[in-house]
Amino acid sequence: MPPLAQVLVDGVFTGASYALMAAGLALILGVVKVINLSHGAFFTLGAYVAYVLDSKGVGHPVAAVFMAAGIAFTFGVFLGKSFINPVRSHPFSVAVGSLGFAILSEQAAQMLWGPHPLSIDMGLPWATLHGVTLRRWGVISFLLSLGLIGGLSLFLSRPWGLPLKLIAEDEEIAGSVGMDVEKIRYLTFGAASAVAAIAGALLAPAAAITPTMGRVPLILSLIVVIASGMEKVWNIFFLAIGLGVLSNVSAYLLAPGGSYLLLLGIVVLLLVARPSGLSVAAPGRDY
Amino acid sequence: MKTSPYGKIPGALAAGAGVLLLLPLAGIDAFFLDVLTLGFLVAVYAGSWDIVGGLAGQVSLGHALFFGAATYACALLTSLAGWPFPLAAGAALLLSTAAGAAVGTLSAPLKGPFVALLTLVLGEAAHEFFLGQMFFSPRGGYSWGGEGGIPVLLRGQPLSPWAAYYSALAFLVLSTWLMLRIARSEEGLFWTALSGSELSARASGVDIQKHKRRAFMVGAALAGAAGVGFAACVGRATADDFSLELSFQAATFAAVGGRGTIVGPVLSALVLHSLLQGTGIPPAGRVLLYALALLVTLRFFPGGVAGTLRERARSRRMVLPGKGEGR
Repeated sequence: MPPLAQVLVDGVFTGASYALMAAGLALILGVVKVINLSHGAFFTLGAYVAYVLDSKGVGHPVAAVFMAAGIAFTFGVFLGKSFINPVRSHPFSVAVGSLGFAILSEQAAQMLWGPHPLSIDMGLPWATLHGVTLRRWGVISFLLSLGLIGGLSLFLSRPWGLPLKLIAEDEEIAGSVGMDVEKIRYLTFGAASAVAAIAGALLAPAAAITPTMGRVPLILSLIVVIASGMEKVWNIFFLAIGLGVLSNVSAYLLAPGGSYLLLLGIVVLLLVARPSGLSVAAPGRDY
Repeated sequence: MKTSPYGKIPGALAAGAGVLLLLPLAGIDAFFLDVLTLGFLVAVYAGSWDIVGGLAGQVSLGHALFFGAATYACALLTSLAGWPFPLAAGAALLLSTAAGAAVGTLSAPLKGPFVALLTLVLGEAAHEFFLGQMFFSPRGGYSWGGEGGIPVLLRGQPLSPWAAYYSALAFLVLSTWLMLRIARSEEGLFWTALSGSELSARASGVDIQKHKRRAFMVGAALAGAAGVGFAACVGRATADDFSLELSFQAATFAAVGGRGTIVGPVLSALVLHSLLQGTGIPPAGRVLLYALALLVTLRFFPGGVAGTLRERARSRRMVLPGKGEGR
């Protein structure tokens, strides 16, 4: 049994990568204006890419990150361009279709790699401080997540991020000033999917790699996105770290399944307490 | 309805029912009899989803919650509490209806995608809870629950495959008739109004929260009835009865068969289930094919099969083809 301090530190590290996932989901919600239930599938994809690379002898996190991001970007662009964009105005098709894509990839992963949990060797402890071990992969994933979140925050606050903010604000104006709204949408979808896969690749050594492993980070990101918005990237970061710590501590104190139940409970509470939810997420506004 | 777009369907339906009545007599083997028997129950389950998700437009991604509540109640009450099956079945129906009322009450103030989110999360929570929840039998000290499941005690003679087939068929015909009656009743009209536009429904003085709750209760009661039948046929309740895959299947059947038509989802469930189960594709491949069928259907009929076809027929009749209402 690890001491509580170790659980807290691991929670911060995993939370940082969850923040990437949540930021991607928030970006999709803001720019494409859909709740993307297939986001967890890209997380799983990233984890399996890291696993396969590791088993082939390429154990470096950065290699896994680039590979996972590339694959997920292409799949994300495909899904965004040829499925999400055309059905975007039908809430039923978006919800059930994105869930369908998630289930499709869960089953595909199960067929390719089997239902049993796989794992990646974490490597030797990198440093030990007062009995808390830090591992190389954990530190790299934390720093990478921090860097990417910082990059996103910078991107959105500079002129290059303006198209995204404008589409999130008012797509008609964005279209009328000559932006290719549909193209920006599917590129955003692809980039957000790539970021989710990066989170998966970074967290792969810390988790049991199973076909359904994407469900927990999806629920966690949904909480972050419901409670926060797209533009306040640092809110997303700290909220995700808080939830990462919370879920790690609850898994340590309660049963392993307890943290998932707790996260699901938080979603229910948030939805019941704020029935209006997010104004951005309701395409057909109906007061 | 004289102007029904499904004018030719009743004849085909009668022919199909005749074939289904004849099949056991024509000597199909026990395996296919079993596949079809479960197919009838799955068809009722798909229809019950359509009451909530199609007719009333409250997209539920946690419909397995009601199904699983009924199978678990049947198993626990007969095996642990020692109740006779009919009594347990009645209690299971009440429980699933109550679960429907609870989910309906929680989701009534929510809109569109958030209803889907809430039901998805509630279904996942129930699945996760029952996956880890074990029950200990009073005699023998068995540990039941989780993926291994809990046995359902029927007592007395087990139903013969023939009797099970015909009672499941009768159950399907009866509940489809009931669902169609409800769909055409005043309550069904309220639900259609809800799924059209909540705003205009409220403007016409419809108490939308009450009718949403009722839609969930009716859908849950019917899903529970399918669950009771399933428990009696299979003789076991497992945590998989709550799974996301099962919830997702209901939405798939409805999307492929045409949301809001009741008959469409019932038929697509029966056909898809029998085809995929009967050809012996492993479960993972089956779910994969369901997901694929769903994505293709949604991509080409984003407004639902029935809705998109109706729109196309309308725009063909109009003077300027293609310049429809833009919906």
